[in-house]
Amino acid sequence: MEVKVEGVSDFANESYTKICQDTFRDAGLRSNIDHVYMHCNPKEFVFIIAVKIGRVSRPVTVWDVTLREEKKLRITTERYAPKLLAVLWDKYGEKVEQLGRLELLLKLEDNEIKELLDLVLYDPKEDLVTRVLYALDTILPEGARVRSPMHSANSVVIIASENPIGKEQKNKVEEMVREYV
Amino acid sequence: MYKIMMFEGGVYKFYELKELVGDLGGFILQESVMQTETMMHLAFPEEDEREIRNKIKELGGKFKKLPLAGTEIIVVVPSLGKHHAVDPMCDIAEFLRRSGAITNMMGLARGVGRRIAQMTTQEKKIIEEFDAAVFIFGTFEECIEEKVRLCRNIDIPYIIVGGPSDMELEHYVGGVGRKTARMRNKDEIDRLYDVASELERALAEKRLDIEEDPIAASPLFIKDMIERTIPPKTGEELPNVIQLDGLRVKMEDEDIEKIKEIEIGNKKLSEICEIKKSLYTGYLLEIKSEAVTGALF
Repeated sequence: MEVKVEGVSDFANESYTKICQDTFRDAGLRSNIDHVYMHCNPKEFVFIIAVKIGRVSRPVTVWDVTLREEKKLRITTERYAPKLLAVLWDKYGEKVEQLGRLELLLKLEDNEIKELLDLVLYDPKEDLVTRVLYALDTILPEGARVRSPMHSANSVVIIASENPIGKEQKNKVEEMVREYV
Repeated sequence: MYKIMMFEGGVYKFYELKELVGDLGGFILQESVMQTETMMHLAFPEEDEREIRNKIKELGGKFKKLPLAGTEIIVVVPSLGKHHAVDPMCDIAEFLRRSGAITNMMGLARGVGRRIAQMTTQEKKIIEEFDAAVFIFGTFEECIEEKVRLCRNIDIPYIIVGGPSDMELEHYVGGVGRKTARMRNKDEIDRLYDVASELERALAEKRLDIEEDPIAASPLFIKDMIERTIPPKTGEELPNVIQLDGLRVKMEDEDIEKIKEIEIGNKKLSEICEIKKSLYTGYLLEIKSEAVTGALF
């Protein structure tokens, strides 16, 4: 993930570069983002941030988080356990029994079990933009409460200010960030 | 005048040190015993420092200066949101505590932004209850310049902490800015030392004022007298906090009537202190100057 911050003193640029890197790392988005461009103008109190979304990891299936032992399933990644149980009980009802904290008993045929292992538990694409927006909210100064988002298929651009954002300004920003998104 | 210092050492014979401090007319401000480790904040008459040092040497303990001891400081940030808390706000507060200060933290209700930043009268009054304030104002020079006007009317010593390294402001410490992680590198720790020493400089003016026009009795002495009348409840931490020219007592309303009657020398506490309810917590006891009350002993 490349980060470029412009428009202010070297100290502030460096400081906001670090804030961007740390925030995206904490949100677990570093590998999903190609580059981030931020332009700060504290004089007019306008902040622009453009994020280019890159590769997104593939969906997590039942097979990824469990280990099959004949008719039993052992959960290997516990953080997916609630979602896994919800999906299985929803689809198979009483045919899936929870024996212990991490152990499930499947009263299913072999071909049904094979089908079950391919069920999708979590698709990172689903809430990617939400997570990106949450991270951007953390990065942008709190006082810049007037937000104008521009979202395309693989990028997110936000203009933030404490003053109203006009159409002219939006067009200017579009030109400004064109090479980054 | 009392000097406040910290003792760190083992539990071996440390009661002898406590007894010595008591004999010299001093006080134990804070005490914590963790298995075999002891930490104490001691206040004792300045002229007896040698005697205390000798005792500590005999016990094999360490002696540490506390430049901000006896002060109650408030750390103010534009808001308590994720942008300002916990770093660098808590790092600074923690470092000031290491220097002996009692710290409190406050987020302004409408302190964010540049043009829209405000401080309410109530917030200003709360800040003025403390000995000094530390304002943390972020990374941008333009914003700090604008926000400084919020602090102009504040009647207590204050310092401003911000990002740009040089700004033409009184009591300003730069190089901090917004943080996403704990300040633990060497240069960051140096900045924290700068904050503590700048605050010490800001407080020196207030200390000088008190020295020129001495207060009727030391807050340490009054605190001791209050605690003899109304002992702190078990497990209660810092029920009474000393300030440079007063105290903050956290008590029930009916106990306040009792402490008004405490005799300090030939006067009652209510005669030498102005007692008022704090907007923040507890009651504030502002000790009047000796020139107003006359000699107590």
